[in-house]
Amino acid sequence: MSSINKIDVVGEYLREVDLRLSGLPLLQRHELLADLRAHIDTAREQGAYTDSEMIEVLQRLGSPEAIAAAAYWEAGPQPPRSQPAPPPPPSAPPSGSGGGVPVWLIVTLASVAAMLVLGALFGFLALARVGGAPAPATAVVDAPAVPDAPDVVPEPRPTE
Amino acid sequence: MTDVAQLATSLRRGTLEFCVLAMVEREDIYGTEIVRRLGEERSLATTEGTIYPLLSRLRRVGWLDSKWSESPAGPPRRYYSLTDGGRAALESFRTEWTSFRQTVDRLVGTGGA
Repeated sequence: MSSINKIDVVGEYLREVDLRLSGLPLLQRHELLADLRAHIDTAREQGAYTDSEMIEVLQRLGSPEAIAAAAYWEAGPQPPRSQPAPPPPPSAPPSGSGGGVPVWLIVTLASVAAMLVLGALFGFLALARVGGAPAPATAVVDAPAVPDAPDVVPEPRPTE
Repeated sequence: MTDVAQLATSLRRGTLEFCVLAMVEREDIYGTEIVRRLGEERSLATTEGTIYPLLSRLRRVGWLDSKWSESPAGPPRRYYSLTDGGRAALESFRTEWTSFRQTVDRLVGTGGA
């Protein structure tokens, strides 16, 4: 829950920065966002767990306006295009998907597992009903059917 | 207040980048750490996020080099190192700064005893 809020705060912040960088060369723009993201991730890893702690981290980073202003200042009037391209940051994007296992795969596996568990539970319930059905029927007739019921009902549970 | 902030900005321009170069002179440091150390220096009055564009420029002019590196437990880190060009720039700044500072101290009367 709180982690969802945290992502929102950070996502909103990064969006605000990005909105102000449209005049920058694409590479510099992406690079700056990757740097800010890494900064925030590091802060989170080192203990900025709550929303207020994260907001403090963002405040220290500075307002989106201030960051954008610095970015334009440092970019200079017109960056030369013919410069030898620096080693591109393809190593940056993989940071997100670098874990190896795609998110969709995890989700799929999790849902399959959940269905299997649910199926097993329903199976047991059905068995319990079938097994337990006669007992209540007799129990209604003869009141002292109590010893029967415990025999029938507890059985499926231990086997699970 | 605005005048003080303006003065800090003016003094910072042209000097802060050499503080960065000196920081990575002996060891490679990752971006967030550079940004934090500078942020802790009160008199520099830097806003952390504005350091990243500076690092970007220092890399573009060839004074710094950087590489992303996986950290043992956590997000990848971008480590900065000083290039030969950066080292030369830092050395010439040191010479320049010493005489610059002495002159200003003499003219402004901040030289001390």
